[in-house]
Amino acid sequence: MNDLLYLIVLPAALALISLFLEVKLTRKLVPIMIWWQLAIVAFVLHPCLQGTERMQFASGLAVDKMGTYFILLTTFVVSCCVTHADYYFAAAEANGDAYAARSLRLFYASVNLFLLAMTTVFVCDNLGYLWIAIEATTLSSAPLVYFERNKFALEATWKYLMVCSVGIAFALLGTVFIFAASQRGTLVEPTLNISELITNAQLLNFPLLRLGFIFCLIGYGTKAGIFPLHTWLPDAHAESPAPASAMLSGALLNCALFGIWKVASIINAAQPHSHVHQLVAILGTITVVAASLLLLRQHNFKRLWAYSSIENVGLMVFAIGLGSGPLFFLQALNHSLAKVALFLLSGNIIQASGTKKLNKMHGVIEDCPIWAVLLALAAFAVTGAPPFGAFVAEMSMLSLSMSDGRWILAVIMTGAIAISFVAILAHVGKVILGSGKQGFKSFQPARASIIPAILVLCTLALGVCVNTEVWSGSWSVIR
Amino acid sequence: MVLDTFEALTMLAAILAILILGTTHLRTNLSFYSLHTTALAAVTAWIANITHDSHLYVVAAAVFAIKAWVIPYFLNSVIKKIDIGTDTGAFIAAPLSMHFGALLLGLSYVISQQIPGLIGDLDSRIGSTAAMSILFSGVLLMLTRRAAISQIVGFLVIENGVYLFAITQTHGMPLMVEMGLLLEVLVAVMVAGLLLFNIKKSFEHIDVSQLTELKD
Repeated sequence: MNDLLYLIVLPAALALISLFLEVKLTRKLVPIMIWWQLAIVAFVLHPCLQGTERMQFASGLAVDKMGTYFILLTTFVVSCCVTHADYYFAAAEANGDAYAARSLRLFYASVNLFLLAMTTVFVCDNLGYLWIAIEATTLSSAPLVYFERNKFALEATWKYLMVCSVGIAFALLGTVFIFAASQRGTLVEPTLNISELITNAQLLNFPLLRLGFIFCLIGYGTKAGIFPLHTWLPDAHAESPAPASAMLSGALLNCALFGIWKVASIINAAQPHSHVHQLVAILGTITVVAASLLLLRQHNFKRLWAYSSIENVGLMVFAIGLGSGPLFFLQALNHSLAKVALFLLSGNIIQASGTKKLNKMHGVIEDCPIWAVLLALAAFAVTGAPPFGAFVAEMSMLSLSMSDGRWILAVIMTGAIAISFVAILAHVGKVILGSGKQGFKSFQPARASIIPAILVLCTLALGVCVNTEVWSGSWSVIR
Repeated sequence: MVLDTFEALTMLAAILAILILGTTHLRTNLSFYSLHTTALAAVTAWIANITHDSHLYVVAAAVFAIKAWVIPYFLNSVIKKIDIGTDTGAFIAAPLSMHFGALLLGLSYVISQQIPGLIGDLDSRIGSTAAMSILFSGVLLMLTRRAAISQIVGFLVIENGVYLFAITQTHGMPLMVEMGLLLEVLVAVMVAGLLLFNIKKSFEHIDVSQLTELKD
């Protein structure tokens, strides 16, 4: 049997089962099965982890080292989120606003389809399949955004669906241009296979390839939330339930960025150090600057983290613009770990305090010290403060761009990172400090802290253990 | 200028897309969309006939079945259920936006000459003009209309523009990709249609310009 089948059979089966099974059972079963899925993924893809360059499943479906890392990260994020979702729904029930069984069934079915679609994104070795998989992630996550079933959720879902679909249509146009580039070059057989395009990049028609890349950048950039195409992102992240926001931020954005990375590596192979790459780095910088300024005036706890996600997307796009795959992954990894912890903790606090408004939140340190500590640590982690993992990634990125001679971008970037650091800490400080008079409703601090604590420890471990040389040096050419 | 059958068909598709801009009556819009997609399916079949590429016949049949028949039928039933006949009001009056569409067709002819790498290709000039004009019509539709259903039609028209581009400039993407795209568009329309019901139910209108509750 094909190895690819092992990767997708469990989420597909779970998606089907969770539509029919008793919800109480689904809530326990799905987390266990998805942790099991993580083990399966690690087992099936272990040749890639041990140094095999790529595993071919079928024509147009293959996974390389980076894809393997991303699949593992995505599955890990989803398993953390569904594990925490059990607590989240239990807390909602205890607060007296339990969700309908029908919504929960749809939630678990969509989560599994979403995981399936995201796993497929990373095994696509064909630009057409990649497009299909990325659009599938939009469609399967739309029910997650609409989960609350109120007017706000409806508006957010509509914007999400329309903005992303139209954006992605432009990525399709880009894909067509790249296919045309492979027909009008000196290539024997026109192809959409990414690995073939990379090997034969010199034979492609470069002007068409460049045009295609720009459209793909706009298209997938909309999905990733690059400024100024980010309009759907804060709405969708703020209106979906906390476990879903965490998945959108920690897993979905990586998929779109992975698409940009794939197309960027084709153009990099065709013409290293072209102006196009400069454009990507500049776009990343603009996104970071805009997001850090927008972070200053936020009134909604979850929108704050949404804008912080946009900032991190900017950093990842910057890493892609520098042509450094390892740094792109390292940043994605640290962002996912810290941001999932933040969204889950914010979900807890919002549930307990009954408000999303930042100016009504204060004194979490008195109400629930363990959440306050974890929130502060995760906030430090996401802003890139030492000794957390994101610091290593951002530091390497800045020094790489300095040594590349792009010091103007590096200086602007440093300033923007500093602004966002101050903005996030000011907001979080107001939430944590002060007197805790808001009367937390029923909650179980210990149970709700397990997953965020694990995530914070992971990103801390990354910061302490990862050797900077490894990431910015020798194997910076992994594809 | 004399157009051959193929070029005439692509232009017909472009003009039908512009006609969608000309009316705010939703069912007429959908009929025009259906005809417009049928013209695209005919273009596909015509190219299959020239290149003797049997997979394009399959694509043409699938495009006709799904995009020219199933999707308009589904959207028509949605319109009937939510009981909304016309777009409540375009930002630009419909006849004006149709004239804009015609202007953009001319602009597309100029731009199609500028696309690097495509110049001098056999029959690609008219094809890319039509494709770009359809793309512009779709964008114009999305920008100027208020009803959520027109937004869906706008998205479909944009997608058709990209499709025509693929079919005329690359003679069709691989079969698996084309089929995946069709399935994806179908599912997207279904999801959007279901959302439409809910928008109508909770807001009692489908005017997307009034969906402005969420902001910083």
